[in-house]
Amino acid sequence: MDVQPGDVAEEIKRLQRCIRDLVSLFALPAMWSGAEPYQIVHTLLDALLRMLQLDLVYVRLRDPGGGVPLEMVRFAPSRDQAAQHRPQPREIGEVFKHWLGADPRAWPPLIRKPIEGRDISIVPLGLGLQGEIGQIVAGSERADFPRQTERLILSVAANQASIGLQGAQLLSEQKQVALAREKAEAELRERATGLEAKVRRLIDANLMGIFTWNTEGRIIEANETFLNTVQWGREDLASAGMHWTDLTPEEWRARDEMAVSDVMATGTAQPYRKEYFRKDGSRVPVLVGAARFEERGSDGVAFALDLTEQKHAEEAFRRVEEQARSIVDSALDAVVVMDADGMIRDWNKQAEETFGWTRPEALGRRMVDTIIPAHYRLAHEKGLEQFLKTGQGPVLNRRIEITALRRDGAEFPVELTITPLKSGDAWTFSSFIRDITARRQAQEDLRNAQAELAHVNRVMTMGELAASIAHEVNQPLAAIVASGDSCTAWLQSEPPNLEKARAAADRIVQAATQASDIVRRIRALFKKTTSISTPLEINEVIAETISLAGGEVQRKGVSLNTALAVNLPAVLGDRVQLQQVILNLMINATEAMAGVENQPRRLTIQSLPSGTGEVLVSVADTGPGIDPQHTARLFAPFFTTKAEGIGMGLSISRSIIEAHGGRLWAAANQPRGAVFHFALPFVTNA
Amino acid sequence: MSDPDCIVFVIDDDSLVRDSVADLLNSAGFTARTFGSATEFVQSQRPDVPACLILDVELPGISGLDLQTELTKSGIEMPIVFLTGHGDIPMSVRAMKAGAVEFLTKPFGKQKLLSAIKEALLRDGEVRKQRSESFELQKRLATLTPRERQVLALVVTGRLNKQIAGELGTTDVTIKVHRGRVMRKMGADSLADLVRMAEKLKI
Repeated sequence: MDVQPGDVAEEIKRLQRCIRDLVSLFALPAMWSGAEPYQIVHTLLDALLRMLQLDLVYVRLRDPGGGVPLEMVRFAPSRDQAAQHRPQPREIGEVFKHWLGADPRAWPPLIRKPIEGRDISIVPLGLGLQGEIGQIVAGSERADFPRQTERLILSVAANQASIGLQGAQLLSEQKQVALAREKAEAELRERATGLEAKVRRLIDANLMGIFTWNTEGRIIEANETFLNTVQWGREDLASAGMHWTDLTPEEWRARDEMAVSDVMATGTAQPYRKEYFRKDGSRVPVLVGAARFEERGSDGVAFALDLTEQKHAEEAFRRVEEQARSIVDSALDAVVVMDADGMIRDWNKQAEETFGWTRPEALGRRMVDTIIPAHYRLAHEKGLEQFLKTGQGPVLNRRIEITALRRDGAEFPVELTITPLKSGDAWTFSSFIRDITARRQAQEDLRNAQAELAHVNRVMTMGELAASIAHEVNQPLAAIVASGDSCTAWLQSEPPNLEKARAAADRIVQAATQASDIVRRIRALFKKTTSISTPLEINEVIAETISLAGGEVQRKGVSLNTALAVNLPAVLGDRVQLQQVILNLMINATEAMAGVENQPRRLTIQSLPSGTGEVLVSVADTGPGIDPQHTARLFAPFFTTKAEGIGMGLSISRSIIEAHGGRLWAAANQPRGAVFHFALPFVTNA
Repeated sequence: MSDPDCIVFVIDDDSLVRDSVADLLNSAGFTARTFGSATEFVQSQRPDVPACLILDVELPGISGLDLQTELTKSGIEMPIVFLTGHGDIPMSVRAMKAGAVEFLTKPFGKQKLLSAIKEALLRDGEVRKQRSESFELQKRLATLTPRERQVLALVVTGRLNKQIAGELGTTDVTIKVHRGRVMRKMGADSLADLVRMAEKLKI
């Protein structure tokens, strides 16, 4: 200590002042009780400025929450007024930081720095043990600053401030905790009251039966709907101390116990179906679910939804379904339902009989592999794909005839109707399938009978035609023969009667002329009736004729082959007459082969376009062929090589073909037999 | 063996056939008369001489077979030779059953026709002879008195005069007189002859 003897009095005064100041400082924390940090700093700075006659004092407090630090500065009143520019606490802080360094722990006890032209002694001090609360910096122009007492006061002040600030901080934290708790409690309260109100509302709304319970099995409270459902009165509930097991039929007790144990373990029981007794002993189907109010509590709430209506609806639905099932099962048609994935979803009794798969076997199989013959499968799958993509299907909603597959691999004809149904987003396809094997057979038989009849008719027509031709022609022949005989008789008589003989000869000539007229008339008849001319597909005419005569041909042991060109142009003509020509050629060919033994009897009908605007049809046989000496007279009327023939067939046939503007001719078949060709012109302008 | 007293009727709608057949018959010595239709024939006046009919089956209007039925109904028993352009079996069976002599299919030879004609005329001659015999007997029967008829009817049953007298309530001498008269009036040479006559007369 550099105490001068003359200054002793001064020194004593200074010490006294120091003691006074220290006492004041020690009183500060009591003043600061409950104060905010800025209030503490404020009084601290005022006290220090006054006690130590400082030129400036600066405080920086760290924000405990990591926010912006609180900075505050005080200047001596003389300086404060003189200053033209009053620097901001932050600016001061920056200057100090620059001078003293960033780390408060490494700060020097004292520095002197010029501020606004005058040197100032600057003393920094940390607040808190490690300066964790903040820093305080005191500055004075006095060269002896800080004196020992001043440093003491500064450190005590810093210490007191630290205590005060820590108290304030603690207080603030406590306040915040209290506030937070209060807020949480308020929220909880609010939520609780809100929730309760909501639950209350739910219960009272009577949208479904709700009751509260305890684990002893008591029903504590129940809403109207629940009471209506079980048809017990509220007073029953109150007086009897109703137990839910009282309401539960024996067989549902075990299920209830499971639910109770669920509630105990998890707090809730998933809804399940059960029954309650009503007051009158009848039962009511319900859906119940339960939950505990608190995690470990013994009270809870349960709901019970009356399923009576639903049950009725379900029963009605089941009845309808059963009816539908029995209708489907008793249907005479096989009913097969397929989903959009092609799986079989339904299969009735008739389907079992028709296809040989039982319902359990069929369900879940792919329809395409089960009843559709292999050669239709691709088409089926494409059709399904197309329908799902476009909603269009050529085979839907109409009756079609198609081939189906039985379990044993046999294919059989069916009549099929497919109806697509949309249920939700999914398509199903109901197929009604009728085995038409018998019907087909009947149709086949009928067609055969008709063909037979047509054949007989045709043959009879031919027979009648032959008879009428025979009659017509036999008349003049009879006259010729009779007159020839009488002519001879007159010539032989004694004396010969020449006049009578000449008359007879005249009649012979007349009759012969008549005969040739008849033939001409018959041919003209065929020409005249050609007027029914329509465009014809010659292949169709051939097919029809084969259906008329094919059976007859085959009965005679002749194999019938066709080689028909496709896309032939139409010809103009009379269907029946052309059939007659083809029929005549077929019959001739068949009869020609009647004597063929040990060699194939083959009849071949061919159609093809010629290069010259005609359709060529040929009928070839493997018979003995045409005797060369007959070639010239082949088409002449009444020429025949057959014992039963009248010799008009080829003549008439040629007349018909010529009337159609065509040609008919014969040739030798290779390697043997005969072939008859006819050519008919195309229809030129369609 | 032509008989100018015989007539052959020819019915055919075809004049050439009709004329040719008639001429052929003429050349063989028969008399022929021709008709174009059944109606024409039915309406004609025909002499009562042995005759036969050459009939075309396929006649317009009344057919040959229809005419055959009609003639039979009217009691005209004229033998028929049928001609046809195209005979079938059912048709010829029907015609033959109804008494046709022959069924000829056109064209036919001279011999077939002539032999059919001869057969037909022969048959007609026979019918006529029987018919005239029966006519004569009827005439003779008409000359008997009612008493003589009674006696005739009983005599042909083979009864004795005495028995007949008992039945008719008279004496056998009276019966013997009646019997003698019946024999004479009927021109019967013997009892056997009388019995034959009674059969024909269906007594």
